[in-house]
Amino acid sequence: MLLVSGVSKSFPGVRALSDMQLEVREGEIHALVGENGAGKSTLTKIIAGVQPPDTGELRLDGKPVHWSGPAAAKAAGIHVIYQEFVLFPHLSVAENIFVGAMPRTRLGLLDHAAAERSAAALMARLGVSIDPRRPASELSVADQQMVEIAKALVERPKLLILDEPTAVIAGKEVEALFERLRRLRDEGVAIIYISHRLEEIFEICDRVTVVKDGQWVATTPVSEVTRDRLVSLMVGRDVAQLFPPRPAGLDAATAPVVLRAENVRVGHRVRGVSLELRGGLITGLAGMVGAGRSELAMALFGGLSMDGGSVTIGGATYTRMIPARAIALGMGFVTEDRKSEGLAMLQDVGANISAATLHDVTSGPFLDRARERTMAQADIAGYRIACRGPGNAVSTMSGGNQQKVLIARWAHTCSRVLILDEPTRGVDVGARTEIYRIMREIAARGVAILMISSELPEIVGMSDRLYVMREGVLTGLLERDGITEERVVDLATHARQAA
Amino acid sequence: MTVKAASGQGFAAGTLNRSSPPLRDHALALLGRYGIYLFFVGFLLLAGLLAPSFFSRSNLSNLILQIVPLAIVACGQALVILVRGLDLSVSSVMATAAVAATSFSGHDADVLPIVLVALAIGVMTGLLNGFLVVRRNVSPFLATLATMIVLQGLRFGWTHGAPSGLMPPLLRVIGSGTWGFVPVNLLVLVAVAVPLATVLHKTTVGRRIMITGGNPLTGRLLGYRTDALTIGAYVVCSMLAAVAGLVLGGYAQIVDNWVGKGFELDSIVAAVLGGFALSGGRGTIGGALAGSAVLVLASNIVLLIGLPIQFQIILKGLVIVFAAACYAKR
Amino acid sequence: MSSTTISGKPAVRRPLTPATARFLMIGMLMAIIVAIGALVADRFLRPANLANVFEQATDLALVALGQSLTVLTGGIDLSVGSLISLLSVLTSGLIDGNGAMVLPVCAGVILLGVLVGTLNGCGVVLLKIHPLIVTLGMGAVLQGVALLYTRSPVGGIPDGFDSIAYGRIGGLSVGGIAVLLIFVAVAVLLRRTATGRAIYAVGDDRHAATLLGLKVRRVTILVYAASGLFSALTAIYLVARFGSGQPYTGADYTLSSVTPVVVGGIVLSGGRGNVLGTLLGAYLLALLNNLLNFLHVPTQIQLVAEGLIIMAAVAVHVEREKRA
Repeated sequence: MLLVSGVSKSFPGVRALSDMQLEVREGEIHALVGENGAGKSTLTKIIAGVQPPDTGELRLDGKPVHWSGPAAAKAAGIHVIYQEFVLFPHLSVAENIFVGAMPRTRLGLLDHAAAERSAAALMARLGVSIDPRRPASELSVADQQMVEIAKALVERPKLLILDEPTAVIAGKEVEALFERLRRLRDEGVAIIYISHRLEEIFEICDRVTVVKDGQWVATTPVSEVTRDRLVSLMVGRDVAQLFPPRPAGLDAATAPVVLRAENVRVGHRVRGVSLELRGGLITGLAGMVGAGRSELAMALFGGLSMDGGSVTIGGATYTRMIPARAIALGMGFVTEDRKSEGLAMLQDVGANISAATLHDVTSGPFLDRARERTMAQADIAGYRIACRGPGNAVSTMSGGNQQKVLIARWAHTCSRVLILDEPTRGVDVGARTEIYRIMREIAARGVAILMISSELPEIVGMSDRLYVMREGVLTGLLERDGITEERVVDLATHARQAA
Repeated sequence: MTVKAASGQGFAAGTLNRSSPPLRDHALALLGRYGIYLFFVGFLLLAGLLAPSFFSRSNLSNLILQIVPLAIVACGQALVILVRGLDLSVSSVMATAAVAATSFSGHDADVLPIVLVALAIGVMTGLLNGFLVVRRNVSPFLATLATMIVLQGLRFGWTHGAPSGLMPPLLRVIGSGTWGFVPVNLLVLVAVAVPLATVLHKTTVGRRIMITGGNPLTGRLLGYRTDALTIGAYVVCSMLAAVAGLVLGGYAQIVDNWVGKGFELDSIVAAVLGGFALSGGRGTIGGALAGSAVLVLASNIVLLIGLPIQFQIILKGLVIVFAAACYAKR
Repeated sequence: MSSTTISGKPAVRRPLTPATARFLMIGMLMAIIVAIGALVADRFLRPANLANVFEQATDLALVALGQSLTVLTGGIDLSVGSLISLLSVLTSGLIDGNGAMVLPVCAGVILLGVLVGTLNGCGVVLLKIHPLIVTLGMGAVLQGVALLYTRSPVGGIPDGFDSIAYGRIGGLSVGGIAVLLIFVAVAVLLRRTATGRAIYAVGDDRHAATLLGLKVRRVTILVYAASGLFSALTAIYLVARFGSGQPYTGADYTLSSVTPVVVGGIVLSGGRGNVLGTLLGAYLLALLNNLLNFLHVPTQIQLVAEGLIIMAAVAVHVEREKRA
């Protein structure tokens, strides 16, 4: 039904896809798996007409197609549920579900009442009850995902692509989703299912395509492959090679506590969290999207104000934190969204690296550009940042190199604590291993690292201690050998399933 | 069926991140930054070709007299645009400052109090704008539109529609006098633009404004006092507008309620021509100055080639769109 | 099950939508003005005076309708003032008192308005420039053309043409009634057609609209064309009211057209609000001016009140955002 062949795509500084291929048949659920940055999202966008391929061909039902934009792909029956939601925050749930396909009255006018009735019925079939008249922005993340799924069901697509649909839902909702997907498959719809949760792939997918580093690796029926084989195809190397070894002689129990948070609360997103970060260790923070991890990190750094609780660092306890104080206390924060919260996209590498330590590059009242350049040059060499030197605008660089710039910036301030929120999102595999290595180096200076990640192998492979968070509270602390993917998934979702 | 595995070429993409960004991107960025100067020189050459009299001393000094008030306002406007704002109230501040200047006795002894009053008007307006934008989260367009209207009303209330009184001679000299053939108001511009450019491009405060303007969240997480920086930009902008109002009042000699009319939009255009993005965080004071000059030059060229004066404003419109199109992101 | 208990309130109609809240606020402000008016002058509440207010809101409401549409998509049209100036001099100049010319000239002027609006829309979409800059540039060009055509009031209108402005049906002005009907029609179209919802969707999240296959470019061009159309109608109305066109007739509408839009609750970032709010906003401003006239407040100082109304409207809006 869909045939992708020889597709390549480059962005400034990165080759996202090279000679990619994919074949999806009618009436099958086809899994697309690969690590972060392997090219799944780019491939999705090319199939959906959001980006044109540099080279290569798409065929739909045997005919070559060239999308002029997403509208053309949509008209041809391709519907995508993106990982980041595509909802209109101020339109009602019903309007979001029926966007572009609202039921009409006999006069040809849109029939809002009918749309609301159908939306409510659809929601009921998906096992959730969401008022179809509410604006989408008022819904919880999980409910927004259900709206996205309902939207796809209304469209009656020929090809449905789901990018991590279960990242924010669990239990009953997942079962309802799977039941729907099986029914769609039986009706002849082709489905591409992208997920990190391999057990789901074995549960509902028929065939699986593995991609790695922007290239096709393998396509096989799910029944003929084992979980271990899939993982080794995805990673393409020993997991031990990807993550640097834990330094010997490091004892999680005796390492000094550098930061202690007591009963931190932020609105309804973080509801009383107490944790300890220990010097020299990488402490992981796992959980589903929307569990409150990023909000907790923001609160520790002062980016969000705490509604309760305290943070103890450097011998003093604070009930209010602001970024300036956090920085002065020796903290650094590599944020999740590096483009809007981390980098100054219009500035060059030098300015981005010195941004948190401007007082170090002044002489008298003036900025000392020479000193700034020297500082940046040292970091460019030390962290192996690929760029044309300190004067290179960061906007032209690849995700991995941008991330290294951010880490270099905060490495100058973080004498005590470095928080990294999804440090390898949108980073290609080569740069990822380097980022892991840099994290270990920084930890070795005695810095306490807090790492948030949604990618299980990463957080399991890197963490010395690991907190798991769910719906605003910590559900467990795992240490060393106790850190396994199964335990993390269990703690991140278990209570929801049981309730 | 067995698993079909690709043959070992898997590390190609992994090593690609070593490559540096292409030179083309770099070149385009440079063009974006310095394009306005090319434009400026091009306009100068064009003017010289069209009319040899263009480079005469009197025409040049006349041009500078016209450029300076706009350039002063554009510097302030640029600062506000840098922090993702807009200031529509500048023209109202200009007129209010000029009207205030005529409300004294008209002697040179009053110049100091006049300047202080004008600056105070600027500071108050800027604080109000900044407060509305930063603390009340009002869109800059609306906030400054509202202050513009309020200020207009207060001014009319004060003058009862017809301002009377005289500009002190010293202000008239500052606004329209020449020293040799160097216009005196150029000195005002230099006194304003040089410190501003120094602060913006050479100090940590300027760097913080640049970073905050491009990415407010980034600025906040870097511990910068983003609220203060933003409000400060509005205050400086209004103060510069007040200064420009005095200079323009001195140039026009006759002060009415509309001194500076049109400057709110012209100054925005000059800044955008000069390379400032309305999305903030980009631009140089030099660019704003060149942008102002280009705008005035365009009008001058129309006169030089003997077109009806109405073509000035048509040409201005075309230059705005054309220049903005050159900067637009591909 | 927990997710349903977290999110699943029973489906009851929420007590107050933002639009209703905004309408109530404007209604209250109007009531206050009426109350003050009734206290200071007994003529204020007479039907003739209220009909007067109804009539005086016409031109501003009409321009603001077009402006509402561009603002709903997150844009703005700063060429409306110059466009009105140009079209008004063309209308009276070309008709020049000749009754036979009325229909062809009006048709031509409307067509020209739509054309200019379409050009604005194409500039925004194709050149990828901020709408503020595109329409500002367009405004300068149009103003220049208007001044090239004439630098003083020009032409005239045949008998009967002024009934557009001064004709009455049941004591209410024809133009005012027409504008009221146009607003209702546009409100229905916005709510009950796919294109109408697409206008909201584009303003709400342009990126999402693109991904979902909505015709973002077409919608964008459409709203600027509509703004051009309503500017043209305003120009014709103004010629009918004043008897001739002037090259600066429209200048003040450029910025003042935004006032009723935001007072009426349409958010400048787009995607939220209702055009009926704009109409109420225009009535509110007309009522306020009328009251200030009764109070013998000089016209210019009435500006202060207008500015304060903008601030009040916007401040109330922000408050609501915070609670949400």
